[in-house]
Amino acid sequence: MESKRQVTVEPSPVQGEAYSPLPRDGAGLNGHRPHVMDAERFHDASERILGSINQVIDGKADAAKLALTVLLAQGHLLLEDVPGVGKTLLAKTLARSVDCTVSRIQFTPDLLPSDVTGVSIYNQSSRQFEFRPGAVFANIVIGDEINRASAKTQSALLECMEEHQVTVDGHSYQLGLPFMVVATQNPIEMEGTYPLPEAQRDRFMARISMGYPDKDAEIEMLETHQASSPLVKVTPVVTAADVAAMIATVQQVFVSTAIKEYTVAIGRATRDSARLRLGASPRSLLQLLRAAKATAALDGRDFVLPDDVVDVAESVLAHRIILDRKAASSGDTPQSILRGIFASLPVAQEPPGAWRRDRNSV
Amino acid sequence: MTTTSHRGSPNAPVQPGGGSAPRPSPRAKTPGAGPYPWAMAGSIAVAVLGAALSLNGVLRGWGWFMPLITTVVVVALTLAVLRALRAQPLLATLASFASLAGVLSFIFCRQESLAGFIPTTGTFTAVGRLIKRAAETVVSESAPVAPNAGIVFVMCACLGLLVILIDALAVPLSMPAASGIGLLAVMVVPATIKPQSVGVAGFIGAAVGYLLILGCSHWFAPDARLQSGSGRGAGQFRRSVVTGGLALAMTLTVPLVIPGFETGTFPQGSRLSPWGTSNGLNPMITLGNSLRSPTGSGRITYATSASGPLYLRSVTIDNFDGETWAPDDRAAGRRAGADRIETGYAVQGEVVNAVTSVNAGLFTSPYLPAPFAPASVNGLNGRWTWDPATLSIMSTETTTRAQRYVVFSAAPKITSQSLSQATAVPQGISEDFLRIPGNLPDIVRQTADTVTASAGSNYGKALAIQKYLRSGEFTYSLQAPVQNGYDGNGLSVLADFLAVKSGYCVHFSSAMAVMARAEGIPSRIAVGYAPGRLTGESVALVGQGSFPEYEVDARDAHAWPELYFEGLGWVPFEPTPSRGVVPEYATESSVPGNLSTNADEKEVLTTPAPAPTPAVPLPGLDTPTAGSAAVNPWPAIGAAAAGVLVLAGFLWSPRLSRTVLRRRRLSQKPPDDPELTGAKDPAPELAWAELQDLATDYGVPSKPSETPRHFSARLRSSSALGVTGGLDDAAHEAVASLTSDFERQRYGRAATPAPAAATRVAVIRESLRNNARWLVRFRADWLPPSMMRRWVHALGAPFRAVGRFGKATGRTVALFWRRLKGLLPQRR
Repeated sequence: MESKRQVTVEPSPVQGEAYSPLPRDGAGLNGHRPHVMDAERFHDASERILGSINQVIDGKADAAKLALTVLLAQGHLLLEDVPGVGKTLLAKTLARSVDCTVSRIQFTPDLLPSDVTGVSIYNQSSRQFEFRPGAVFANIVIGDEINRASAKTQSALLECMEEHQVTVDGHSYQLGLPFMVVATQNPIEMEGTYPLPEAQRDRFMARISMGYPDKDAEIEMLETHQASSPLVKVTPVVTAADVAAMIATVQQVFVSTAIKEYTVAIGRATRDSARLRLGASPRSLLQLLRAAKATAALDGRDFVLPDDVVDVAESVLAHRIILDRKAASSGDTPQSILRGIFASLPVAQEPPGAWRRDRNSV
Repeated sequence: MTTTSHRGSPNAPVQPGGGSAPRPSPRAKTPGAGPYPWAMAGSIAVAVLGAALSLNGVLRGWGWFMPLITTVVVVALTLAVLRALRAQPLLATLASFASLAGVLSFIFCRQESLAGFIPTTGTFTAVGRLIKRAAETVVSESAPVAPNAGIVFVMCACLGLLVILIDALAVPLSMPAASGIGLLAVMVVPATIKPQSVGVAGFIGAAVGYLLILGCSHWFAPDARLQSGSGRGAGQFRRSVVTGGLALAMTLTVPLVIPGFETGTFPQGSRLSPWGTSNGLNPMITLGNSLRSPTGSGRITYATSASGPLYLRSVTIDNFDGETWAPDDRAAGRRAGADRIETGYAVQGEVVNAVTSVNAGLFTSPYLPAPFAPASVNGLNGRWTWDPATLSIMSTETTTRAQRYVVFSAAPKITSQSLSQATAVPQGISEDFLRIPGNLPDIVRQTADTVTASAGSNYGKALAIQKYLRSGEFTYSLQAPVQNGYDGNGLSVLADFLAVKSGYCVHFSSAMAVMARAEGIPSRIAVGYAPGRLTGESVALVGQGSFPEYEVDARDAHAWPELYFEGLGWVPFEPTPSRGVVPEYATESSVPGNLSTNADEKEVLTTPAPAPTPAVPLPGLDTPTAGSAAVNPWPAIGAAAAGVLVLAGFLWSPRLSRTVLRRRRLSQKPPDDPELTGAKDPAPELAWAELQDLATDYGVPSKPSETPRHFSARLRSSSALGVTGGLDDAAHEAVASLTSDFERQRYGRAATPAPAAATRVAVIRESLRNNARWLVRFRADWLPPSMMRRWVHALGAPFRAVGRFGKATGRTVALFWRRLKGLLPQRR
């Protein structure tokens, strides 16, 4: 039964052992609270991770950076693209570059929720129920083709993503830190699949479309990847503790009132837009700000700029907003509408006349 | 435009069973057709009709307003209905043209049109007639003209077209502000024609309508994001209303408070005439304006062998019918060749001959000024004809401009004795000179009868009329007719004049002429020039010796009556007080009673001997405003100097305010103790504002939707700052450091002191100047776009306020309406 369901849990430290609830913080970190990193070490670590990913996936530096941003902002990533452009490869490379537990779930229609979360089994010898943790108990969980699973199984995973814990038979089991789900979804082959509804997509911090590599990158890929899988060469470049410290650093990034106002203005603009049926939710704005903080940290700053918000906004918001019928039929995309909003939304929430600004600040 | 098409789109059908569908987020209410077309069409109609109020005075009375209301309302209604039905914008405009044609046909050419309003070929013929009539009115009549069908038709057609134009500008083209040009075009007409200019009612009407149009277009703006500052408080709204109201009130009251708007360099009634001096087609009409002109254009000089200065006569007016008097050219009876002119009636007694050399200079008129009665005119260029009945000399192909000619004139020697003896019934002249118009106002005949009751002979009657008009009851005034609305000529004007008893030569002369006719004396009005002033030079006349030269100009323009006495011909009189010269025979001392003495037999007309009447032979004195302006040049010089100063200040103000703003920003001191006060150092923000304005001045304006970093990158990559790696490296570094300072200050945790912001800005400015072309440099110095933009923004504030006011009113009305509708079913 196990093999048939295709649940492949790669190096899982708790496989086959009685699983006990973990303390919320410091899973796999020997109980230490993560320390804030200084800027130099942060920069160094992020460079190493990105370098490791880029050496495997050619010409997708942006996608790699966004994946790392989502990891540091403690969000989840949805990779949506046609087959064969490296979705899974990106997820795996990111997971392997960081020295932490990784599990991979290949979603199929007959996958059960308990396969994801875990199940209590009666142990004949100890005459007790033992919890056998599911695939979700790992720092990085790769959910391949999430849209092929039934809605029931999908929601099990989504619940874990939201709660950061698993509840089975009345016991709550904390998930690890860092915890990140990288799900892939194939938009082309829709027959017999259950595409994530809008509400579920909202749980993912960002969605990336990989896109085809350019010509040079594709030629290089053909040359270097002939002999063996590039994943073999990937070794962890940072420890899970490092990642936790990086996450703590990101949390310390300063967000000024101006940035908060700008973020809120973005949200209101999407809700007020006549071409959108559904605008950005408050949760999406929170995630937008968190992603912006991670971007700022990756850029070596300890404060967020409007540019950070704009940089990540398309990836964070595009999969959550829904177009009006008219806009959709006239060829608009969520991306184009967001771009239009950014092109017209004032960054400083005040009229362009600088006198007012002078007066306020003097 | 796309925004407009959204407005008209039907709403998507409601999906059945939409329980599972996600609820749409609250969106901006996209205005459907709703009240918008009606409000807009109403505003346009109000604006056009308001502006048309100012035409009262160009046209007499209010009879023209009803057809105008009909036209404007019909066209506006057509537009409103079609826009409410969401017709194609172009279709609506075309249909409004059709409705304009229909309503014009209905009003003006009902008989010629099919079913009363469908234009046919007959309609077009009728329209041609109407237009011709309007053209005649424009050429020959003076404001206020009688509202005849032709002129009213043209006015209705123009204003109907204006409604269509404004609608096209405001609705499909989304340029409501541009519609003001159309309203301005309406008001230009009274501004140039009417002595009182546009008038308060017209100005307020047009202003209110225009603000309504702007408010409507703002109120119903299709995209909520375009409506700026919807979240602003009531304070700003109140401020804007106060600003707008004050501006309007000041415009209307300041001219009333400040003295000098009725006199001085531009006295009321003297309007700018951008089309040059009058063509003189109807000298009666231009006379008032000539008299009021402060400078005295059209100087004519003449020298005469007569013993004193002469009246120069251009033309006569003898037909007193019709709304407006004009010279009757009698084209059929005119004779060619001015070298031999005959009076056509027998003259008894002695004849005085005179030779007069005239230099017309820049004076331009088809009528030749000549002393009465010309016998021959030599030295003229072009073909000239003369009228045997009036002896007026005119040309249809050339003008008096630059003509120098010599007039030989012969006039009978007229004395009071010969006049009192000339009692024979007039013969040998046309009956035209005796015809009394049928619509003669009662006041004229009554006055004439009362005045001449005690006089026996024609001469006595003439003297009585003249005495009455020169009496203390009448005052000479160039302004009174303008202020009382009877500036012009015609019988109705005459009635007004006799009631108000104030006017100038046109009124006095026509009063005397018409009253003389009423008493049976043939009369006509001569139009020309009163005797002028000595220039101090002398001119040699061929065979006559040297004579002093006189000059006359527009201020000497004059009209006087000529009465016919059998055996003496046409005899001029002078009923205008303080103008011209009263002939000896027409003075008080020569009443018929002492005629038997035969003592006062003197030359008349050509001898302006000092008379015991208040007549003053110096015409300059009775236009005191013009005279004083010419005498005392200091106020004019002072005004000119002040004007130059104001102009210089105006031209310099953008540069000055820009410099002051820059200084103020860059000299800002950091707060004394930032930690104590918690205040951030404002220097980076101010330096950043200065950087943005600098970039705007040199052609790289910042956009509000742009992040500081993006703007900085754009500035550095633009050609305005020059390429890196050269002399401009310092400027590039300065931009980068200013940007990062500003970012840290605005978005960062704690402000870091930003040293040398002023130096950095100076470096950037230097670089921008060096890389700009001279034109850009000039603009940045004298008309900095950053400053201009700010001013334009400030100027637009009242309009935005009106838009917000309209929006708020609309919301209140809608709310009230909804409540009212909620109440209705309960009452039932």
